Amino acid sequence: MTRMALEISDLRLSFEGITETTEVLHGISLSVAPEERVALVGESGSGKSVTARAVLGLLQSQKRVRMSGRIEFEGQDLAAMTSRQRQALRGSRLSMIFQDPVSSLNPVYRIQTQFHEVLKRDDPSISLEDAKRRIRPMLSEVSIAEPDRVLESFPFQLSGGMNQRVMIAMALINEPSLLIADEPGTALDVTVQDQTLRLMRRLVERRRAAVLFISHNLGIVREFSDRIYVIHTGRIVEEGPTDAVFANPGHPYTRALLAAVPRITGGDIPEIDENPSAYEAPRVVHAPAAGVA
Amino acid sequence: MKAVLGLLAGRLAISTLVLAGVSVLIFGIARVIPGNPARIALGPNATKEQVAKLAAELHLDEPIWIQYGHFVRDLSRGELGISLYTNRPVTTDIAQFLPATLELVLIAGILMIGIGLPLGMVAAKYRGGFVDNLVRIVSLLGVSAPSFVWAVILMLLFAFYLPLFPIAGRIDTEFAIEHVTGFLLVDSLIAGEFRAFGNAMWHLFLPAFALSLSGIGQAARLTRANMVETYEKPYIEMARSYGFPAWRIARRYAFKPSLIPSLTIIGLDFAAMLGNAFLVEAIFAWPGLSRYGVAVILRKDLNAIVGTVLIISAAFLIANLIVDLLIALLNPRIRYARSAR
Repeated sequence: MTRMALEISDLRLSFEGITETTEVLHGISLSVAPEERVALVGESGSGKSVTARAVLGLLQSQKRVRMSGRIEFEGQDLAAMTSRQRQALRGSRLSMIFQDPVSSLNPVYRIQTQFHEVLKRDDPSISLEDAKRRIRPMLSEVSIAEPDRVLESFPFQLSGGMNQRVMIAMALINEPSLLIADEPGTALDVTVQDQTLRLMRRLVERRRAAVLFISHNLGIVREFSDRIYVIHTGRIVEEGPTDAVFANPGHPYTRALLAAVPRITGGDIPEIDENPSAYEAPRVVHAPAAGVA
Repeated sequence: MKAVLGLLAGRLAISTLVLAGVSVLIFGIARVIPGNPARIALGPNATKEQVAKLAAELHLDEPIWIQYGHFVRDLSRGELGISLYTNRPVTTDIAQFLPATLELVLIAGILMIGIGLPLGMVAAKYRGGFVDNLVRIVSLLGVSAPSFVWAVILMLLFAFYLPLFPIAGRIDTEFAIEHVTGFLLVDSLIAGEFRAFGNAMWHLFLPAFALSLSGIGQAARLTRANMVETYEKPYIEMARSYGFPAWRIARRYAFKPSLIPSLTIIGLDFAAMLGNAFLVEAIFAWPGLSRYGVAVILRKDLNAIVGTVLIISAAFLIANLIVDLLIALLNPRIRYARSAR
């Protein structure tokens, strides 16, 4: 059997409060094979983002967090590592894309400075000029036509979609073996989100990175991932290849999630003339439960 | 850079207007204070005729707008009139006393920034921990006790019981430094007298430290609060996800964005020290402008009051100007919003 890019087994995680401890993950097991795209789907508060942060090792240092179970990254147990070793993995073998690209980039530094810092994770002595030489082709891979203008810019001077592409390029430039995408582009509008996801898909395929894709939106997940895990209140309730889960959802929660995917009736957006009463007719309806096309 | 220069020009124009406004205000207020300056200057034994003669010399018998006209005419020649307290031109007095105060306030400001900001940063990095609580208690002490209390305490502890520092004055009398700028630190360096420089520094430390303590506390608390807020921002989590070392995140990613809101207050604190310097100057027998200012107010020395207040207002405006420039340099949003226009 091939070595998994990521293997989580029986992960339990709880936050200690003053009087009581709240368990938010009740024994999660999932795996991501090399070059595989796996989605973790669930509603807000289901534990999907916490899982992502646990994999990155961002929670282990917090005093209030109690964790048990195993997280193995490329066969190595993360819990057995020192925090310094975990830190060394982040940004080089393991990287993450965040929800809101605009607020995830530091507002007071130029894109080139932030990119330079990321490249220094791989090669601490790299100069800004060398870094730029490596960044430019990466930016054109994410369809940024004027890399130099973007590099000179501050995040607030770029659109949300541009920032998202910059973030994707940043996450992949050090050739990680696992990319965690936490609801990428949820803060963007749907068309821009769709474009950037296509870009991301192309890039991870070319770079042969595995992806753990975290989302609440089944529509996106369906296009993007090979396999799906459905998470509900800290438990994995269903898993399987994407097509199989969509064709035959087993768990009632999966069916409810599928039913929540908005659909546009009658194909395209209907033509509406200047008749005011037509505006009141619903254009988007929720499909009946189960068996979504 | 062009944008920054534009900002500077605009600010200078506004500052000049503010200064003109301050001059009218202080000119009026100084004359509304009860008591006849001529009588106070001449003392209780002077005759009515002598008082009236001096009042006429000072144009005090004329309507206030005519007096203001005289003031503006003098000012255009670079004069501020004669002080009744020292019997010398006010400009001479200011030239003598201002450097001592500026020296004190500048060193205090350097201490405030050099100690306050790092303390705040360390506290924010270890937020919720022991170091954080320690810094918070210490900075609260600094903020809550006025600087003259600290002046007395520091003087007692480190000049009287433990004679580590001198009790009073700017420099020991054995050093005769040629007067060039009036700043002893500068003059001693110009003269190449490094021992005198050290001696002047030694005299400066306690008063400057006493003066800076509330500023240190304020700067530390402000920096900590802003940084703790910044630590919650997504870009900090992103920096963590890239495995940047914790200190690098503190210094580069959390501190710099947090500095922008702190700077405004720090600039005001800096300028406010000019006023607060008075009691510290009084306690350490520091021959500075703040002491002079209070002495002339008590004697209703009109020309000297107006001159001193104008100089202190100008210092306030300059401090604010510097802060605005620093913010423009630190905050790309402001810098670029300007050049886009």
